[in-house]
Amino acid sequence: MIRLLVHIASATPALLLVAGWYFKRLGVDPEKTLIWESGIWAFNLLLLVLLIPVVARWANWPKLRRYRRAIGLWSFGYASAHLALFLAFLLGWDLVRLGEELKERPYVLFGFGAWMLLSAMAITSNRFAIKLLRKKWGTLHKFVYLAVALAGIHYVLMIRSDYAWPATYAAIAGILIIARWIRGKKQKTVRTN
Amino acid sequence: MAQVTDQSTYNRRKFIAGALGLTALGTFATLRYRGRMSARAAQAPTDESSIVESVPSAENYALTSSNGGRLTTKYAATHYNNAYEFGWNKSDPSERSGNFNMRPWSVTIDGLCHRPGTFDVDDLMGMPFNQLEERVYDFRCVEAWSMVIPYNGRPLRDILAAVEPMGSAHYVAFTSVLRPSEMPGQASPFSSLEWPYVEALTIEEATHPLSFATFGVYGDRQLPQNGMPFRVTLPWKYGFKSAKFIVRITLLEEQPPATWNLTNPREYGWYSNVYPDIDHPRWSQATERRIWGDGEISRIATRPYNGYGDEVAHLYPGINHQYR
Repeated sequence: MIRLLVHIASATPALLLVAGWYFKRLGVDPEKTLIWESGIWAFNLLLLVLLIPVVARWANWPKLRRYRRAIGLWSFGYASAHLALFLAFLLGWDLVRLGEELKERPYVLFGFGAWMLLSAMAITSNRFAIKLLRKKWGTLHKFVYLAVALAGIHYVLMIRSDYAWPATYAAIAGILIIARWIRGKKQKTVRTN
Repeated sequence: MAQVTDQSTYNRRKFIAGALGLTALGTFATLRYRGRMSARAAQAPTDESSIVESVPSAENYALTSSNGGRLTTKYAATHYNNAYEFGWNKSDPSERSGNFNMRPWSVTIDGLCHRPGTFDVDDLMGMPFNQLEERVYDFRCVEAWSMVIPYNGRPLRDILAAVEPMGSAHYVAFTSVLRPSEMPGQASPFSSLEWPYVEALTIEEATHPLSFATFGVYGDRQLPQNGMPFRVTLPWKYGFKSAKFIVRITLLEEQPPATWNLTNPREYGWYSNVYPDIDHPRWSQATERRIWGDGEISRIATRPYNGYGDEVAHLYPGINHQYR
């Protein structure tokens, strides 16, 4: 039941955007609206993924962790749509230009890097991969913190003048990364003791 | 003890459920609000014809446009604007300019000229608004989108000639209005721009026949979102070079500062001519997305000097990369 709600909630922005596109309700530059909104929702869901273990521990509610994979995959879905829309609308599927853009534009590089990390985690998000990779799986999936850092830089690099929103996102991402790092250190100390 | 823990756990869970509910509600409300806003956008009339009796330019500059006479819809050109004075969203200039007073409006012209003075904007026009010349220019934003817009005005050089510039006047500086109480973007603590906005041209650029003193677009002068009551339009340069809400024009010997160039000289050159080979450090300028309105967008190659090279290239002798 909760799982179904998680899927419905995660799909809602996408459905609204598709409907908005179809009924021409996405403003004067609907292409830009789609690119921005898909990126923002990839980021929102990624932050939610990082927030889940914190909340689960705080509320002593371990069941929450069950929905992490689903939300992570939705985030990957939005990020993939974001990349595809960028390729379609800004590069016209010119993959040679994608190579140039990756070389010359840090914002593309950071965004693409975050997407690659999410891809690696999405591919290995099944039981088979968990069994196969064992301990390495955990290490690989810690890269979600690097992915959110790259996404934050990617966002900040897009801004011309007003940094209020990207600064907010970067701050939330930063707090979650630092919180995880402190906890990781504590755990290590406990183990060595 | 166990009971106490359970109670606090329960409270925390209740709190989370509440927070989730509020977030969902907030998201829903935001999306609904945005949906309404853009619904209004879609329903607005798409007026493509000009109300003004247009006076064709003798040199017929409209022909330098590559679009076969097609215009961007008035709705798109007046609801998708960069005027950071009103906010950084493209919809802010049309939505947050309601308190902006456009009359009376006077412009001071001073510096190295023989007849400096302060002029009412109606006097600057030199004729009734509906008799001003109409010019269709390609407008190219540094963000790699463009529109085709009919501007109402007169050559800037006619206004400059009236104040009789001295021989030592090598530059023309524009100062935009400073009114934080009427322009919410100027009051924002998060803006990285210094106000008032300043821009500048060389005297050769300012007196070029393409440089257009602009008092309206689409035959409409009540459009603060487009920089009215008085702006300049320089179609071979990125949009930010075309100063809006001008209250002062100063003739100078030394090169004056320009707002975006001051803010980030690596990204925004002082000249900022449209040139497909000179990229903005963060994005390519090789192509642009031409916005037509009603959701229609075409991706086209950007032309040197935005297609006005035949008219203006001679202003930039030598290597054009020096004039970035």
